[in-house]
Formats: sequence, C-alpha cells, structure tokens
Amino acid sequence: MAEEFKSLHPLKYYRDYYSHDIRPDGREFTDFRPVIVNVDSIKTANGSAVVKIGRTTVICGVKAELCKPKPDLPRQGFLLPNLELPALCSSKFKSGPPSHEAQALTQLIADIIENSKCINLEDLCILTDKLAWVLYADLICLDYDGSLVDACMIALISCLKSVKLPEIDYDPALDIKQVNIENMRPLKVHFTPVATTFAVFDDKIILADPVIEEENLCTGVLTIVVSGDELCCVHKPGGSPLSEEELMDCIEKSKKRAKSIKKLIDKAVREENK
Amino acid sequence: MPLDHKRLNGPEESVPYELFLRHKQETVEIKTLDEVTKDSDISREHPKIYLKTGTVSQAKGSAYIEIGETKIIVTVFDPKEIPNKQDYSLKGEISCEFKYAPFSCTKRRLHQQDNEEKRNSLIMKKALESAVCLHEIPNFQVAIHSLVLQNDGSALSGAIIAAGVALAEAGVPMFDIITSMTLEICRSNEIDSLRKMTGQIQVAGEKSHYGTIIISKLHANEQICQVHQTGFIPGDQLKNYITVLSKSCDSIAAIVKKCLLKEVVNHIK
Amino acid sequence: MPLSEAEKTFILHGVDENFRQDGRDREAYRPMELETGTVQHAFGSAHLRLANTDVLVAVKLEIDAPFPETPHEGKLEFFVDCSANATPDFEGRGGEDLAVELANTLASAYQSRQAFDLRKMCILKGKKCWKLYVDILILECGGNLFDATSLAIKAALHNTQIPKIKAVNIDGDNIEIEVSDSVSDCEKINIENAPVLVTLCKIGQHCIVDPSLSEEQCTVGSMVVAATKNCVSTISLLGSGSLHQDTLFQFLDFGCKIANRLNEALMETLANISVTNENVGFLK
Repeated sequence: MAEEFKSLHPLKYYRDYYSHDIRPDGREFTDFRPVIVNVDSIKTANGSAVVKIGRTTVICGVKAELCKPKPDLPRQGFLLPNLELPALCSSKFKSGPPSHEAQALTQLIADIIENSKCINLEDLCILTDKLAWVLYADLICLDYDGSLVDACMIALISCLKSVKLPEIDYDPALDIKQVNIENMRPLKVHFTPVATTFAVFDDKIILADPVIEEENLCTGVLTIVVSGDELCCVHKPGGSPLSEEELMDCIEKSKKRAKSIKKLIDKAVREENK
Repeated sequence: MPLDHKRLNGPEESVPYELFLRHKQETVEIKTLDEVTKDSDISREHPKIYLKTGTVSQAKGSAYIEIGETKIIVTVFDPKEIPNKQDYSLKGEISCEFKYAPFSCTKRRLHQQDNEEKRNSLIMKKALESAVCLHEIPNFQVAIHSLVLQNDGSALSGAIIAAGVALAEAGVPMFDIITSMTLEICRSNEIDSLRKMTGQIQVAGEKSHYGTIIISKLHANEQICQVHQTGFIPGDQLKNYITVLSKSCDSIAAIVKKCLLKEVVNHIK
Repeated sequence: MPLSEAEKTFILHGVDENFRQDGRDREAYRPMELETGTVQHAFGSAHLRLANTDVLVAVKLEIDAPFPETPHEGKLEFFVDCSANATPDFEGRGGEDLAVELANTLASAYQSRQAFDLRKMCILKGKKCWKLYVDILILECGGNLFDATSLAIKAALHNTQIPKIKAVNIDGDNIEIEVSDSVSDCEKINIENAPVLVTLCKIGQHCIVDPSLSEEQCTVGSMVVAATKNCVSTISLLGSGSLHQDTLFQFLDFGCKIANRLNEALMETLANISVTNENVGFLK
C-alpha cells in the first residue's frame, strides 16, 4: 500500500513523514547514511577505490601514463578526474557522450581538486619539460542514489591515496626510459577535501545526505566541501534561499562529518598498505 | 582523433609505462588439453566464480560477477518502447552494451566504445537473444548494460552469465539458464606478458596454433547458442576444445542455479 | 518475399534428396566470375560475381606508425560499404549492422599470424609500417555475402603490389623512406593461408553451402566458418538461434572440407589469371 501511495503522491508521502520529524528510511533530518570505503580492489589500476554511501556507489580507478608536460607549465604533470554517469547506474541516463550533468559534475570535482591543492602537480613531473606523469582518474557511478558528489570526492581522494607509481630512470640524451616496477612509491596527498550534500525541502527543512527521491523532490541542493578545518567550496546551484544561520549550521555539520570521513579514508588506506 | 570537448582532456599523447619495463613479468602455468581432460572432475577447471544479484538499487535487475580476478557489473532496465520504430513488431528486442572501464585493463581504455567492445556487444546480444522469450515482450526493448571493472580474461563470458541472472531478477521471461565460458590457447613457449590472464581456462597448444574460443550454452536442451572463435586451430582440435568448454559450462550452470535460488528465497522472506 | 509452407517443404525435400531447387547438390556453389586489377588507382583490387551477388574489393596502402604493443607488425583494416543499390533493405542505415558484422568477422578471421602475417608489413620496428586498407563495396546482394567477400578479398590481396623500399634514412626524429622508382619493382603479399569464409545453413537434417535467398528462409541455423588447410581461424553463429553440439561439429567438418575445396579452386584461378593477363573490362 505504502509503495503505491509513494509512486502516486510522492510529495505528500515525504511530507507526511517529515511532519513526524523522520525520513522514510528511518533517519532523522541531520543523519548521514553509513559509508563504506574499499581501497585497491582493482588490480589493473595504479590505484582504485569503491565507495558506498547508503546505496550510492562510485568506483574510481587511476591509470598512470607517461607524457610530455605542456610547454607553458613545464614543471607540472596532469591529474584528470572524469566522472562518468553510464546508463548502467540509473534509467535516467542514456549511453553515449557524457550528459550535461556528468560534464557539470566533472568540472565541479576538477575545480575542488585544483582549489584544495590536495595534489601538488609538480610532484608528478619526472624531468622538467621532458617527462611527466599523467594520472587519468576515472570515476564511474555504479548506483545513483543521491549525494553523488560526496561519494565521488571520497572515492577520488581514497583512490589517490592508494596510488603507487614506479620509479623511472630517464636518460634525456638518448630518450631511453626504464621503469623499475619493484620500486613503487605512493603519491603524496596533502589535504583531504570532503564534500557534504544537503537538500532543502519545502524551503524550510534541511536534509543531510539526501537519497535520489529527496533530491528530485526538494527545492534546492547545497554541497559544502571542507578540507580539515577550512572551508573549501560551497556549491549551491539556485533553489530556495538559505539564511546565514542555516548556512553556518550546515558548514558546522560538514566540518564534523569531514573529520570522521577523513579518519575512515585514512584507516581504509592504512589497512590496505599493511 | 578529434578532441572530446565533453570531458577533461590532458596531453595529446601519453604512453603506458609498462612498455619500458626493465624486467619481464613471470609467465603463468598453463596446462595442456590432455591435462585438462584427464582430470575427471572438469568443474575444477574453470576459475572461481562469485555471483550476486541485486547490486544496483536503481535498476530493475542487476548482477555482479567475479571470475578469477575479472569483475563485471550488469544491469537490466524495464522494457521500453523500441526507439525510432514506426510499425508494430511481434517480437521484442534486446539491446546490449558491453564496456570496459578505462582502468579495467593493463592498457588504458578510451571512453568511447572501440571495435572490440562493439563486437562483444554484438556477440552478447546474439547469445542472449536465444535465451529471452522475445515473443512475450512484443514491441518492447530491454536494455542490458555491462561494465567490466577489472579484466583478467573471460570478460565477455562473465558479462553473458551475469546478464542472464540480471534478466531473471528483472522478471524478463526466459527460456533457460544461460552460461558461457572462454578458452584461451597459448603458444606453449611464448606468452605476451601484456596479455597475462588467469580468469579463463588456458591450455597450451602447439607452437603455431593459438587463439580464443568462447561458447555460451542453454542447458535444458543442451543447446549452444553462441560460439565465437579466433586464432588458427586445426578443426579436430577445435572440437576437443569445444567439448571441454561445454562441460565447464555445465558446472557453471549449477552456480547460476544456486544464485537464482538464493534470490528467490530472499524475495519470499 | 516470404515463402508459403508448401514451398518451404519443397525446398526441404529437395535438400533431403541432394537435389536443390536450381539443380545443385548440397556442396555445390553457384557459378562465379572473378576479375582482378579492375580499380586503376588502388594497389590491388578484385571484382567477384557469385550469381547475383556482386562485390568489389580494393586494397590501398599507406605508411603509418605501428601500435606500441605490436611494434613488429603492420596494420590491416576492413571497411564494408553496403551500397543502397544492393538490396532495398540497405536503404538508409539498413545495411549498417550487416556491414559491421561482416567487417568484424573478417577482422577476426585475419587476426591470427598464421592466417595473415602482418610482420611482413613492418618497415622499421616501432616507427614505420604499411597499413592496408581493404575497402569492400557490395554492389548487389543475392545471398551468401560472407563467402563472396572473402574470396574477393583474397584475390584482391593476391593482386596487391607493395612498392619496394629502397632505403630508410633516420635523422633524429625524422624518418625518410625511399621507395623504388620503378613501378614494376614491387612485392607480392603471401596469401597462401588467408582464410576463406564458408556460410553453412542447416535445412532439415543436412547442411548446405551457398544458399539462395529462398533457401535462406528455410534454414534453422547458420554459421560462418573461416578456414584454410583444415585450420579454422574464425567460427561465428549468424542470426539468433541455437544448435546442439553435434550439429556444431557437423558444421565444422563440412565447413573445413568446403573451405579447402574453395581455396584450391581460387588459388588455381588466381594462378591462371596472372599467367594469361588478358584485359577484360569491368562487368564484361
């Protein structure tokens, strides 16, 4: 019965729950879903991570290749995060070139990574103007159930922390590269930016970590990225206006969550490296 | 290649570092066909399989499979009307998409489907067409998407097995359980280190004969619904290989049955 | 045009008696005509007509860099173009699926080194190699495309002349290749092991080769076997449907036998063509 009601009057269904201060999945408004991080499960990648937030699943894999640095930035390597929303993860998407949503989110993630300076691109340079690493970090959504940016950021950071690159002997005079696969060095990740998504329902209720139905029905979405104690990025694409207090409150909550997520990521990476 | 403006683009050219390895990688142990067939318990000859349904909550049916180190996820969505079609067709259609994740292979894959992926999509479609009761879904199309997360051989076989289970979970009417297996024939003394695979049956052939054979099978009537082979193999030997594959498919059918049974039990609970 | 049940039964009984509609037995092909060197600007070409099926194949050569994984090998690419004239079904994008399937099957048939050695196409390891473009144009479709195409390709490759390389100058990153000036100074491609595709159809209890369009409608299953000298380089089921293992083996044996016979006939014809070298016009 509840299922039929939900599909016929979704908005009323959710409102009824919210009027009793509870969400349909049993969470309170400010509760987050459980997070699972699994590191280095893909052996063909240089680093990988699978992250689940509730049912939202994102996999990230990094492939490292060698290239020549750009002439205007001769001392830098490349880090290219690309988010894919395949038709596999939700009936909303079609196969083919990336949708607008995927393009927008890819840009957002790339901006967060660049602004937070968690990776120093100069670490990826092997020899100035000659040879550098290019890290292709491909994020693929496997199950699209809301708060995608949160999952993507956790996956990307855990993945980068698990990346190991081999030592390269490069002779620029003869253009001879030799790869020493026995000597793998981990990549330095300086900061851990963590994203937290909130949904604003009916202009007043603020829901933490919304599922996909909540995201579709709500009147506004807000994503806050914090790195350590510092605010890194606030992404609020339109929607209901928020008061300053509400915003500050959300930021506080994000900071608290970022700490626990950072602990979780570090633990997952440490366990794997043992 | 034209620049892809919808993704972030890096340098124009990059090469995998594996090309400059100082040490050649070790080779895998490979059995000859005699060793494989001598072993009366053929079921042990295929790599370990883990199969699970219901992995993607947004899809109607989904399955996750591990064959050796190969990891594949497959989803099936509700039937939709066949796009761009005017007249009514009595039979339904299935559409298959087979894709490697960019990081799934030793060499990085591109985002667009390449020829191998297109070919595999076609083989997968043909195999599954004989397993689905297409006359029961007239004028509708069932979309099947598969994504290989890590490739260690048998990716296409894995995708076919998982698609069969996912279709069953989605409630698409089917004739039978579908299984599949891949066999790789290696030259006995020389193996490309880049193509080192353990997720499939491997046998050593004569020096000049090597290739890949994939079959998929429907079990109730012992029907082979798809067979694809490449390489250069004498006809008689090919028959032996197919017999081995067919037997190993039988043992996979047991795993598929168990998985489906679990799904039904969970559903009733 | 769809056949009635009675017509189908007639064809089936004919196959059973080893006497088909047009008087052939089960293993016989319809008459074929082959011309080579029909396209002037191509490096090699062949034109094959099998009853109503008409295929034109041209081979073009280019100098390219080999793939980093296979620095010793040249490249080979098949492209199939289904002309809208060939059959009404090909109008618009109708022929695309068939073209892809045909190109895929050919690519996997030629993949093996034993079947077609791409190492011969290498000019300078890891830097320069020949790239062969095999363009297949289907002019008319009267059934049995796979067989006709493979024979035409083999003939076109036989006809192909690869210019001799006189010298390779390496100057840093620049590589200059000097090709022999004389037009007649060319190399032939070894096509001895190049596979021949045989389409087999099962009608009733028997297999037949080279089905006519009406026979194609009566088949319960069909398969393509690419083989030379008893070695199989590709097998692939056509269309949907399934078959028993025993039937599959029956197909295989039959396919190998026919492929051998076809291959011998083709090689003999090709040898004769190059001897007589008389000028015969396009479409006679």
